[in-house]
Amino acid sequence: MAATTSSPDSDSGRAESNEANSKWLDAHYDPMANIHTFSSCLALADLHGDGEYKLVVGDLGPGGQQPRLKVLKGPTVLTESPLPALPASAATFLMDQHEPRTPALALASGPCVYVYKNLRPYFKFSLPQLPPNPLEQDLWNQAKEDRIDPLTLKEMLEDIREKAEVPLSVQSLRFLQLELNEMEAFVNQHKSKVIKRQTVITTMTTLKKNLADEDAVSCLVLGTENKELLVLDPEAFTILTKMSLPSVPVFLEVSGQFDVEFRLTAACRDGSIYILRRDSKHPKYCIELSAQPVGLVRVHKILVVGSTQESLHGFTHKGKKLWTVQMPAAILTMNLLEQRSRGLQAVMAALANGEVRIYRDKALLNVVRAPDAVTSLCFGRYGREDNTLIMTTRGGGLIIKILKRTAVFVEGTGEVGPPLAQTTKLSVPRKTRLYVDQTLREREAGTVMHRTFQTDLYLLRLRAARAYVQALESSLSPMSATAREPLKLHAVVQGLGPTFKLTLHLQNTSTARPVLGLQVCFLYNEAFYALPRAFFKVPLLVPGLSYPLETFVESLSSKGISDIIKVLVLREGQSAPLLSAHINMPVSEGLAAA
Amino acid sequence: MGLLDRLSGLLGLKKKEVHVLCLGLDNSGKTTIINKLKPSNLGTEPRALHLLGKHSTTELNPQPQHIYDCAQVQDIVPTIGFSIEKFKSSSLSFTVFDMSGQGRYRNLWEHYYKDGQAIIFVVDSSDKLRMVVAKEELDTLLNHPDIKHRRIPILFFANKMDLRDAVTSVKVSQLLCLENIKDKPWHICASDALKGEGLQEGVDWLQDQIQAVKT
Ligand SMILES: Nc1nc2c(ncn2[C@@H]2O[C@H](COP(=O)(O)OP(=O)(O)OP(=O)(O)O)[C@@H](O)[C@H]2O)c(=O)[nH]1
Ligand SMILES: [Mg+2]
Repeated sequence: MAATTSSPDSDSGRAESNEANSKWLDAHYDPMANIHTFSSCLALADLHGDGEYKLVVGDLGPGGQQPRLKVLKGPTVLTESPLPALPASAATFLMDQHEPRTPALALASGPCVYVYKNLRPYFKFSLPQLPPNPLEQDLWNQAKEDRIDPLTLKEMLEDIREKAEVPLSVQSLRFLQLELNEMEAFVNQHKSKVIKRQTVITTMTTLKKNLADEDAVSCLVLGTENKELLVLDPEAFTILTKMSLPSVPVFLEVSGQFDVEFRLTAACRDGSIYILRRDSKHPKYCIELSAQPVGLVRVHKILVVGSTQESLHGFTHKGKKLWTVQMPAAILTMNLLEQRSRGLQAVMAALANGEVRIYRDKALLNVVRAPDAVTSLCFGRYGREDNTLIMTTRGGGLIIKILKRTAVFVEGTGEVGPPLAQTTKLSVPRKTRLYVDQTLREREAGTVMHRTFQTDLYLLRLRAARAYVQALESSLSPMSATAREPLKLHAVVQGLGPTFKLTLHLQNTSTARPVLGLQVCFLYNEAFYALPRAFFKVPLLVPGLSYPLETFVESLSSKGISDIIKVLVLREGQSAPLLSAHINMPVSEGLAAA
Repeated sequence: MGLLDRLSGLLGLKKKEVHVLCLGLDNSGKTTIINKLKPSNLGTEPRALHLLGKHSTTELNPQPQHIYDCAQVQDIVPTIGFSIEKFKSSSLSFTVFDMSGQGRYRNLWEHYYKDGQAIIFVVDSSDKLRMVVAKEELDTLLNHPDIKHRRIPILFFANKMDLRDAVTSVKVSQLLCLENIKDKPWHICASDALKGEGLQEGVDWLQDQIQAVKT
């Protein structure tokens, strides 16, 4: 298993979109758009068949209070209508082959799917009734005949809710929420009604019926609170097939065609992902996550799952884990990014820190920063622009960005995990005869070769050390290295000539010990230069001070020749100098001028 | 030959030829505008009556266009690649490269920059969402080496001004940051290509600019 995790923050800088070279154009931002929704309730489609794609929003309303169906054209809301219950999912699909081929809109809400054509209500599908709990039925019958008072009814219903296998009806559940004074009226109002039990839709998606084309007729696939998956007929809205799951599905992904072969993938509330095939009534594969899923996206053949552990996981369609990427913050929602013009499919993950990260497999391609945490997002053709990113924020804002025509998502600009070089194949040259012979020789005579090398290395080091020692012994440097006589010499030549002033700065660099008994000697060619004294004694050198020792140098040559004067610092009674310096004398200019 | 040329020029028989590039996003109305300027459509358009000529290279519009404006406009389909159209103003003969504005054809534009002597840039004033895209394409155009250092005149049409959600031409020039174009003559006209309104004003300006350069 190639699970790779990276440190949370190291990668965020590189794929960052800064203003100047961002891949995105900011088409619209309205922080007060008042849209509160999830990615599953967003859908893009050319609803009017005029080439202008609209955005369908199943809006929960502020605080989930006023559910509404909104249709947006560009930045503005085109139509708005109230919904009877909170929306669970919105989808657009082609119901039939009739011209014009405008897609229908399906909105799942509570136990129903509302289908609209041309934005007018067209059909309402309701989930089939489920058999009610006989005990519950019995209680309400008693209430009808006034054989039971509301308080006892409440107690008994609560008992059923705790223990029974079959859940209570909505009527009983609402009754249990009531205050004491409201109960009587509620019972009177509802006691004669037949109790109905109906489950609700948790998720919805579309599945092509028998053609893989872009504009093929599609079936609706529903996931229910009753742990079932239903596939509906596109025209008649009858249930074509029913499959059961071990848990409640919350995210659905489909591939294939209903009549041919298909695969349904459901991420469920038990933290598992179940994969079903056409002929299987029960899951064929199961992926157990170690945390709850927060999003499910299929990219080509890979399933990408976001989990509450702030990570994205990649799985094969058979449930084998491929990789894991760690996010810097919790994932709020996910969706697919498909850039058709460049054949790119990637996953977008909106994080709690306001980032939207775009990944191809585990490689980070781009980071979009939103001013607020993004709660829903989708990518596709909107208006007349193919690559539009639509995001809504926690505060109800709407952000629309358009991917630049020239934008290319480059892997490696936001690389996470092992560096790219690690996976690129090196072009290793073919093994030649020479190479093989050499390897053989190395294998056989390895020790000898190593020894030869070591000998040479030691010889080299010895030679270097000797040269160094010789330099020290002959004091060929202006710095004395002997511990007893730490000295520094520095010479300055002043003047234009023919008379120069030569100043030697001699410094005792020891910390405490004064130096006594030094002498300075000049060596020079007497044909070129004359010095008043070629040899003199140095006074006591106090540590730290620099002593200027001056002497005049007369240039004798009239041909503008310059030569070297050697300065030697000697200790009385020793022939080897402590220090030496070569002074390159300048050409006498005064003479030439005279 | 030169004398004959000048003579015919004086008599208005032979007009100076200019190459014009018509650019802008898809659906902005480029083809509709050019069709409107073409001579065969002028009969129904009193405002443009003085654009005389008998020559038409209608390719997109094979039906006879005589009676009703809208009927003729409905025949316009999105341009594929580009098409070459011709029309004449009082003193110039225009050859217009009507480029397709669709994303996948926009990279064709730059191949014609060198030969263009003027640019008509059409903006759909009602497409607020894509104003940024129009600006991006305009900026790319202005920074192209074949355009950047030339004093090429640019005529902007803030088209579809008849639509309810259209913004004004002033707003369009703000959104496109036209005030930043310092080294090229430019002009913006609000237009309604379906009725032909505003087109003549733009073409007159363009003609003045081109003549100012040529003389
Ligand atoms: N209301 C209105 N519609 C217009 C106007 N101008 C053009 N249209 C319509 O806009 C649509 C697109 O016009 P075209 O001329 O094909 O646009 P285009 O710029 O040539 O598009 P491409 O060839 O795809 O680049 C057509 O349906 C026209 O009828 C206008 O001024 N007002
Ligand atoms: Mg066109």
